[in-house]
Amino acid sequence: MKSSAAGGFRRSQHRFFALCVAPSLAVLALITLLPSLYLLATSFTPLNLTRPETQWDFSQPFVSYGQLVSDSRLHNSVWVQIKLSFWTVVLQLLIGLGLALLLNMRTRLLDALRTVFLIPMVLPPIVVAIIWKVIYTPDISPMHGIFRALGWNVPALITDPDWALTSIIIADTWEWFPFTMLMVLAGLQMMPQELLDAAKVDGATPWQLTRYITLPFIKGVLLVAGLFRLIDSIKAFPLIFILTDGGPGNLTEVTNYYSYLQAFNFSYLGFSSAITIALLAATIVLSWVIVRMVGWGAAVD
Amino acid sequence: MTRKARPRRGTRRDRIAMQALAVLLALLALSPFLWLLLMSFKTNAEIFRFPPRLLFDATLANYAALWTSEFRNSFANSLIVGVVSTTLSLVIGVPAAYALSRWTTRASGTITLWILASRMAPPIAFTIPYFLVYRHLELLDTLTGLIIIYLTFNLSLVIWMMRPFYDQLPRSLEEAAWIDGATMWQGFRRIILPLSGPGLAATAILCFLFAWNDFFFALILTRTEAMTAPVAVVNFMNYEGWEWGRIAAGGTMIMLPVLVFSFVVRRYLVHGLTGGALKG
Repeated sequence: MKSSAAGGFRRSQHRFFALCVAPSLAVLALITLLPSLYLLATSFTPLNLTRPETQWDFSQPFVSYGQLVSDSRLHNSVWVQIKLSFWTVVLQLLIGLGLALLLNMRTRLLDALRTVFLIPMVLPPIVVAIIWKVIYTPDISPMHGIFRALGWNVPALITDPDWALTSIIIADTWEWFPFTMLMVLAGLQMMPQELLDAAKVDGATPWQLTRYITLPFIKGVLLVAGLFRLIDSIKAFPLIFILTDGGPGNLTEVTNYYSYLQAFNFSYLGFSSAITIALLAATIVLSWVIVRMVGWGAAVD
Repeated sequence: MTRKARPRRGTRRDRIAMQALAVLLALLALSPFLWLLLMSFKTNAEIFRFPPRLLFDATLANYAALWTSEFRNSFANSLIVGVVSTTLSLVIGVPAAYALSRWTTRASGTITLWILASRMAPPIAFTIPYFLVYRHLELLDTLTGLIIIYLTFNLSLVIWMMRPFYDQLPRSLEEAAWIDGATMWQGFRRIILPLSGPGLAATAILCFLFAWNDFFFALILTRTEAMTAPVAVVNFMNYEGWEWGRIAAGGTMIMLPVLVFSFVVRRYLVHGLTGGALKG
């Protein structure tokens, strides 16, 4: 069937596929691409909502970017962000991995528990924030109740300079360890049994099995899970908004939160746009790394 | 095809010990969540009591107070916005997912990155331009405004979820229909769509949950009229003097539909969050 009829069919097929894709691409262009360009344009203006004349003022296009270099509060926020991202990603990977290894047996009880462990991740982020606000508020917190009963005098963690960031890290880790756990479990299920059997025949102990067979096999999964969590950690908002409001001082003020404050508390949308462009660039680079690692780009066959 | 891993078999005692440990850890992990749930049924006096009484007089007063307040409107807003943005995303996105699965173009790598980046972008990247434009279009504090911005993540999600789903449906299905003289559209409409049920249901639920869970967009783009439930609960914290019982009840009402739906789609959760980075 290499006649012109087949060619006509091919053409109509292409037309149909193009018609299917067009609305999505048009809408995505309108709602994501255009706003991104708008954001980029705004970042070249000193837009301040209290001074409307600044809206399309491109006379000094790099003034906001100059501020990126000179603003020490921003630099502090990047450092806070790095600490938050590092510790949450590491803790989530460790806890997720540990639990996945523990739960990787097929019994009815463990199947049920696997679902139970998902709860923190699926809760609305604002509910997670409320839960931890309760835990961290001494008057009503069961945790502080226990501390008091033990005779320990523990300050309110979210207002204590030494503990504020740690308390955010704990809450964030609680919210997202199920994600890494799920990814690792999915990875473990793809492990070929032959590999384990062969190692067992050679007399490997359970620890050696984990260390030399299982871990190398799920290395890729751990990396992808970590990258996803890393990108997400850049967006941390509800926990910080509800628990500490960036404080005490600027100790828990991550970059995303600082950008929000500049835009919607101080009305400096131009400067905030410049910060956000930097954040956006970081997420796009990380997404690109994921696309390359998972091999989606090479999906053309 | 490799054999799937059979679960490891330890000795009987090991297995019991591991399961006991797992139960213990689950209880520990869930205790903060259970505490909030209990709190929503407590009176104010009971909330401040420590050690807590195991058998307290449960009250529904917190829920009743919520239901007669503005919170009811916010709850309805959340429902409307979630349902409409989900429906729109499916109508626009499902044909695209199908076409991208069947049609291999050189641009597919770029489209993939674009869609992933849309899902991954920090919300503030969209919030600033939307806020500025909505001021002129008078879309601030409207449900329409929220529905449009929720499309930014939900449309990408639909394409993410449905494309791998269609990859798994054999092409021979619609090819048989074409040979019988069906048009492309008929092949999609009569053969492919009826087979998409489970994928569509899971995708719809996840879309709804993402819209329902949103806090940041609603916080910035709404004031009073279009306020959604998550923002309304937070307002109990700021302006009405820490009414813990009502905050807990509001939080519980927001999370209940989420828990029920998540349980239904738990198999698809990782997929929805990572866009099929892992085929498990």
